[in-house]
Amino acid sequence: MLDLLLADARTPTGGFAHSNGVEPADIEPAELEAFLRGRLSTTGLVDAAVAAAAARGEEPLALEAAWIARTPSAPIRDAARRQGRSLLRVAERLWPGALDSYSAASAGTPRPVVLGLCGSLAGLSARRVAQLCLYDDAATCCAAMPKLGAVDALDVTAVLAASEGLIAGLADRAVAARELPSAAAPLLDLRSVAHHENHRRLFAT
Amino acid sequence: MTRPMRIGVAGPVGTGKSSLVAAVCGVLAADVRIGVVTNDIYTDEDARFLRSTGVLPAERIVAVQTGCCPHTAIRDDVSENLQAVEELDLREGPLDVVLVESGGDNLTATFSPALADVQIFVLDCAGGDDVPRKGGPGVARADLLVINKTDLAPYVGADVGLMLSDSTAVRDGRPVIAASLRDPAGVDGIAAWVRAALAEHRAGSLVARDPGPMAPHHHPEAGHAHDGHTHSHEDGHVHDHAH
Repeated sequence: MLDLLLADARTPTGGFAHSNGVEPADIEPAELEAFLRGRLSTTGLVDAAVAAAAARGEEPLALEAAWIARTPSAPIRDAARRQGRSLLRVAERLWPGALDSYSAASAGTPRPVVLGLCGSLAGLSARRVAQLCLYDDAATCCAAMPKLGAVDALDVTAVLAASEGLIAGLADRAVAARELPSAAAPLLDLRSVAHHENHRRLFAT
Repeated sequence: MTRPMRIGVAGPVGTGKSSLVAAVCGVLAADVRIGVVTNDIYTDEDARFLRSTGVLPAERIVAVQTGCCPHTAIRDDVSENLQAVEELDLREGPLDVVLVESGGDNLTATFSPALADVQIFVLDCAGGDDVPRKGGPGVARADLLVINKTDLAPYVGADVGLMLSDSTAVRDGRPVIAASLRDPAGVDGIAAWVRAALAEHRAGSLVARDPGPMAPHHHPEAGHAHDGHTHSHEDGHVHDHAH
């Protein structure tokens, strides 16, 4: 059940404050599916692979360095650090003390690494963690859509449901990769920086 | 060392929360180390306004985005705000007090005790003098209720005396302060209240009290001999609203 808890936006980790690139991209409802495909296949895949590796027990600080090297946008790194910190708060309540040494040693606490560590504590497989990471990314994008434009939340939910195959395939790739993927989405990175400087934004990312 | 006391400031849009925060900081900043976290809905306008007043060093004022959910950010998922407070304290601290200003919300929005050690609810005369009578958890049970912009009362036909008496009637002895930026007494009263709460916080005797998410409400109870009753749910009382 803990996989569901970790995927649930009601678990208090501040997810409601993020659009994961949807607000900066200013997309039309009809573009959501393509946006998700692009995002999940690039930065989504990197995040999922890092989360899966952390769930498998790979050294989290090394993974953190690898994730930072693949995440050139400072606002995205900072948002992931804060989301990771919030997730650590949940972890501390569910598994007291279990992530103390990581929490003390890590400066970056990127969410994908912390999610992987939580997945490991929850007894989830690396594949499940990768899937969860991708689903959370997609669901965050989708949930932001009705807040940003004229779109029926049911239509958005249908797009999220239709991404099942995409997410399954990417989760397979995330765990199969012999080394961490380095797929990048420069436009997402550039937009995130401009978005961060925009004083009229609704979402943190 | 004790962590900073966290004060929540809530209340509907436009009741003067930011100006009040600025005025209170102006009075306290000489001897209390204060930080402010703002929760704007659309912009970081409040944070920029506060920085522009010069009452605090600009670095002591930070804004968090709430993704259109200012209510959520202070109540059911306070992680973004808690983190902002902790980072502010780490970077600029040690701080004595951090004021967390809610993005203006409706009458039911109150702070979770997980975020606010004490909370102030702000109403204003221009919003209508019937608002205290309408009530809500913030009006009835916030640690301090401020009736702001009393200087506007004559221009908008609001009865400050009525607002104060309606408030006092539902607040069970909790304080109410009438304030206006043109009247130093109100702001001084709020600052004194903050100092008293801070002394309690430092002594370790401050216990966060939750105003609760629901307003006391009235049930005409069909089939009963009496005329119904008004109550709140803070006692854990459960009942069926469909009757």
